[in-house]
Parts: sequence; structure tokens; C-alpha cells
Amino acid sequence: MSTLGIIIIVAVVLLLLIIMGMYNGLIRRKNAVENAFGGIDAQLKQRYDLIPNLVSTVKQYASHEKGILEKITELRVRAVSGGLTNDEKVALDNEISQSMKGIMVAVENYPDLKASENFLNLQRTLNEVESQISAARRAYNATVTDYNNGVESFPSSILAGMMNMKHKQVFEIPDTERANVNVSNLFNN
Amino acid sequence: MEDVNKINELFQTQLKDRLKGLEKLRISVILFTMLLVLAIVVFIVVGYLLSEVNNTVLYIWIGIFVLSIGLFGNLISKRKKAYYHQYKATVVAEIIRLIDPTWVYHYDQCIGRTDYHQSELFRQECDRYMGDDFVYGNIDKTDFQFSELHTQYKTYSTDSQGRRHEQWVTIFKGIFMHADFNKFIGGKTFVQPDKAERLFGKLGQMFQKISSKGELIKLENPEFEKMFVVHGSDQIESRYILTPTMMEAMVAIQKKYSRPISYSFIGSRVYLAMSFTKDLFEPRIMSSGVKITDIQEMYDLFKIIEVIIKEMNLNTRIWTKE
Repeated sequence: MSTLGIIIIVAVVLLLLIIMGMYNGLIRRKNAVENAFGGIDAQLKQRYDLIPNLVSTVKQYASHEKGILEKITELRVRAVSGGLTNDEKVALDNEISQSMKGIMVAVENYPDLKASENFLNLQRTLNEVESQISAARRAYNATVTDYNNGVESFPSSILAGMMNMKHKQVFEIPDTERANVNVSNLFNN
Repeated sequence: MEDVNKINELFQTQLKDRLKGLEKLRISVILFTMLLVLAIVVFIVVGYLLSEVNNTVLYIWIGIFVLSIGLFGNLISKRKKAYYHQYKATVVAEIIRLIDPTWVYHYDQCIGRTDYHQSELFRQECDRYMGDDFVYGNIDKTDFQFSELHTQYKTYSTDSQGRRHEQWVTIFKGIFMHADFNKFIGGKTFVQPDKAERLFGKLGQMFQKISSKGELIKLENPEFEKMFVVHGSDQIESRYILTPTMMEAMVAIQKKYSRPISYSFIGSRVYLAMSFTKDLFEPRIMSSGVKITDIQEMYDLFKIIEVIIKEMNLNTRIWTKE
């Protein structure tokens, strides 16, 4: 076999190895993103589990807040019914966050409720879940950034184009979540 | 500023006189050491002269000498120890009382081996474990322990003639501290000074991925990322611990002390190891102990406890752990 032939074979094998490496790298990143979303999902489920408890506790003291309580119950039913895409889950989660904040503000008018042992426990658990969700989102963002770097930088971008892998959006962390101490301020006003 | 005034007042009203009292002891150590040197010189000269005269007298002379040097040396070391102990009991203890009167101080004790091992900050098995200046107590809801530590392992090297030499290598020397952490932790998270990335850049990041301490955790605070490298058993839990505020606190602590600092978060506690090359909280024999700068330095070092707990917001108990 001529030297040229050997060079060509070596070059082709090398190229194949490089492509294989890039392909595997991209698949790994894609799976990491899915895995990280799973992490958020698990935390969100914990929050859904807390909602009935919160509703029943608040109901005992604050019967006037029926509207907001019904709304959050309804949102929860939708969230746990399943069959939602990731984007829908995120949108629903944002709505739930808003309603939760609404409840926490409404609670300000009911000192008995605020002082009740049950509610204080709930408040701690909610803080816990909120912090966990925030951490899960940040973990998700880190994997998405890694994924986007792979999808958009040359030469893996060519392969990503062929595999129909597109840029993914990172979560925007609301300002209130940036500092967890703020959460306590929200409650202690 | 307030701190400086407090230290100044303590120094002027209480410590200065006591330190002056201790000076006698310190000077006696120096004088005795000088006498010892002189005695050795005299012995050699007399010994030389005696060897010319009579061997029996020479042996008696050597016997007397060895005995007296032993006694004298013992006396010096006792005085030296007494000076160290009195200095610590009066001066160091007062400084700690100034920061918080409820804290407990034992100058001759240190953080237990179990705590040191539980931190998993230094996995090298140690053959020598030493430490002193043990402080423990509470700041609000957070209990803590603090001490100076020095751990070493033994190794042997062989020289060109095939002789084996024993060598002691330092694993860690400096301040070791642990405190109650305000969140429940199931896994392990390690924050360590980022040497690899600083030296090798992007390539260093590849080395960081290979660690026995868990997965590499990349965080979003660029200033923090430059200073530290994080490994952990769980990507989400590590971020649950290292909130943006926590990262800022660690950056602030790093800037304040500019010493290599490692942290670990394991089993409801945060462990911290701050390396120093010199011995801390020790008086010097050869220079005067009546110095306010020494007091100031010790005060600043003990203040680390408060700075860590306050910067890290360890007293904020809004989560499920009370």
C-alpha cells in the first residue's frame, strides 16, 4: 500500500474518532439538561404537595381569602394531572409562585394565623422548598449553558445542526430569589 | 474603629501591667540561657586544663557538668513553659473574653481528631496531630469550635549513600473551625482554593473534573469561580448550600484574610481550614511581650469566628432546620 493510502486511512479514522467524540459529547450534554430538568421537577412536586396543607391551614383563620385559595388549588390540580410539556410546567410554576406570594401577603392581615405553630412550620418548609427550587434552577442553567456552548461553538455546531439540536433558554431567576434572606423579609414585615 | 478602641482600653487598663509582670519571667529565661552558654564555655576550658593534670578529676568534672547542665536546662524549659502558659492564661484569655465573655478557652487543647477527619478536607492519614488554643461557644443559635492545628505525616527518603532519613511533611497548619450549618445536608460539598485553574487555565478545569471529592460544580459567580473550585456529591444540594449570598460571603472572607481557605459542608456542619505558615497566638521569647500590635493581631484572628458566622448568615434559621 502506498504511503498516501496509509495517510488517507489514518486521516479518515482520526476524523471518525473526532466526530464520534463530538457526537457523544453533545448527547451527554443533552442528557445532562434533561436530568437537570428532572431535578427541578422533583422540587416542584414537593411544593405541590405542600399546597393542600397550606390551603387548609390558611382557611381556618382566613375565610375571606376564598378566591385566592381556590385559584391555587385549581393550579395545583392542573400541575399534578400530568401530560404537560416542560415549557407548560415552567409557566404553571410561575403562576403558582405568584399565587403563593399573594397568600403570604394576605396572611399579614391575620395575626392569629401568622402566629400559629402549624403556619410557622409551613413557612419554614416553604422557604426550604423555594431554596431547593432555586438551587435546582441554577443547576439546570449550568447544564444548559454547557449544552449551548456545545451546540453553538465550532466545529460541534455543524454536527449539532445535523442532529437538530437547538439553543435552549436558561431560567431567569427572579430578583427575589437571588438572595434568600429577602424571603425572610417578605414574611417578617 | 470601635474594635481598636476596645483593644486599646483593654491593653491600657488590664494587660499592660500584667504583661510587664510577665516580662521578668521572660528576661529570666533569656538570662538563664546566656548563663548556660557561658557555663559550657567555662566547662570546656576547665576540662581541657584538667585533662593535662589528672584523668580521675576530669571524669568527676564531666559527671558534675552533665548533671548540672541537665538540671539547668530543665529549669530553663520550665520557666519558658511557665511564661507561655501565663501569657496565654492572662493575655489570650482576656482577648477572647473581650470578644465574647461566654466563650470557653483552653490554651492546651485543640479540636478533636474525629472532627478533623469528618471534615474530609485533608484525606492524607496523619502521623502527628498537634494543636492548641481551643475556643468553643455559641453565637446566637450557632455553636462553633475553633483551634489552631498542625498535622503531619511521616515519610522516608534515602540519600546517595543509602541511608534512610525520616522526614515530617505538613498536611495542614493554621486555623481549623467548624460550626452548625443552618440547613439540612444529605451529601458532601467541598469548596477549595482554585490552584489548577489559576495555573493552567482551561486545561486546569479538565483536571478539576477528576476528583475523589465528587463532581465538579460550576457556579455562576465569576469572582467566586476564580478563587475557588467546588466539588460535591449532588449538583442541586451544592447549589442549595452555595446560594448567591453565600458565594459573596466567601469572596468577602477571602478578600479580608487573603489566606488559602478550604470549606466543607458535611452532616449539618460547615468546616473551615485557613492555612498559615507561622505559629499563631504564641508569645516570642526574644522580644518584649508588652506590645499592642500582638494583641491586635490575635484579636483579629479570633474575630474570624464571628466574621464567618455573620458573613455566612448561619444564624438565619428560616429553613426547616431550627
